[in-house]
Amino acid sequence: MKCLEFRRELLQDPFAASETLLAHEAECEECARFSRRTRAREAALRNLLRAPEPPPELAERVRLAIRMEQQAERRRPFWLAAAASVMLAVTLGLVSLYERHIERGHMALAQSVVYHIVDEAKHLHTPGPAAPQRVREVFARFGAQLAGDIGQINFAAECLMRNRTGIHLVLQGEQGPVTVFLMPGETPARTVPVETDRFEGEILPTPWGSIAVVGERGEPVEPLAVKVVSRVRWGARPATGVAGLAQTGGQKLAGRISL
Amino acid sequence: MGKLSKQFDALVGALSPELYRYAMGLCHNPDVAQDLVQETFLRAWRSQETLRDVKTARAWLYTILRHEHARLYERQRPDVRDPHELPDVPVRGYDTSTEAFTLRRALQRLEPQYREPLMLQVVGGFSCKEIGNMLGLKPNTVLTRVFRARKMLHAMLGEDKQETAHEMP
Repeated sequence: MKCLEFRRELLQDPFAASETLLAHEAECEECARFSRRTRAREAALRNLLRAPEPPPELAERVRLAIRMEQQAERRRPFWLAAAASVMLAVTLGLVSLYERHIERGHMALAQSVVYHIVDEAKHLHTPGPAAPQRVREVFARFGAQLAGDIGQINFAAECLMRNRTGIHLVLQGEQGPVTVFLMPGETPARTVPVETDRFEGEILPTPWGSIAVVGERGEPVEPLAVKVVSRVRWGARPATGVAGLAQTGGQKLAGRISL
Repeated sequence: MGKLSKQFDALVGALSPELYRYAMGLCHNPDVAQDLVQETFLRAWRSQETLRDVKTARAWLYTILRHEHARLYERQRPDVRDPHELPDVPVRGYDTSTEAFTLRRALQRLEPQYREPLMLQVVGGFSCKEIGNMLGLKPNTVLTRVFRARKMLHAMLGEDKQETAHEMP
């Protein structure tokens, strides 16, 4: 094997180990040096490209997205699948697109809720209860208040969610922690279920936005959801988005998610 | 809600990490990379009846992701970062050393026709025949492209001057 051929083969696949390649490397010092440099660079390239670790819940997020899509397809009226004429097909197609658009929005909202819980999983283990004064302060930033007991609150903070500020609570459920997000400005068209292998709950629309109540699978979240929805009094001017941050004097945010 | 088929569920679990790495290599943005992986599996799920052979699923998913990245880029020129910018949210395993920055920048400077086959070979471990099928190229063309890609990378990273004196291919 000639040196030219050796180097071409090596640059095509630096970790190739054909007998002729190895034989030439053993007898040609220059090519052996070239081989060492090339393989070192290839190792660096592999380390660079193969190293980034995905967030641990990426696969779960994908599964959730597919389940939401399955649900969206099942909710589509049966007649959408049986277009009889071109005009009907176009109309149905437009309705379907619109429904898909709405369902994609619900799917994205549910995903962001789960992602935020996972991203800030440490708050699930915050020992409670949180100081009542602290809870009142967090609500007061939004002109909101709790008009009754919603159970033990272990964690309360302002949070940035999908470019809007809201309230992140962790309540003590029957079996474990239950996350509650009060999301002003997030307005789903209906109650959106949240379901993954680990979590289940729902996102309930309200006049001012929505409330997400999510616990570990098996946790009966509905009684808590009813309490929270009925006892949260939201102010006339909720502090949302960047303007809200300015109003609250740039309070420290508990976390950030993005979609 | 419905369950994913066992087979598809296994694909999601097994291939999400490497598809994420491939997406990061394309866009250098962890949020966009996650979106690309999610959209890839969604598209694959919608078309899973066209998947004849589970063994080819890997190549199929990489191809979908490539197309999704290209579509995203054409549509809205997403927040594809300059490789020298660090992700806002720390990414585990994301090398922030000077050497990594230099290598990343050099890789980004390669033309797509050279960078794409090289990344599929390095990240995906695909053979030249598989890469050829994915990119619509003959295997020999893929070999030439990865050879030239590495040659250009080495030149950008500063080859040993003795190599050039030894009549490089």
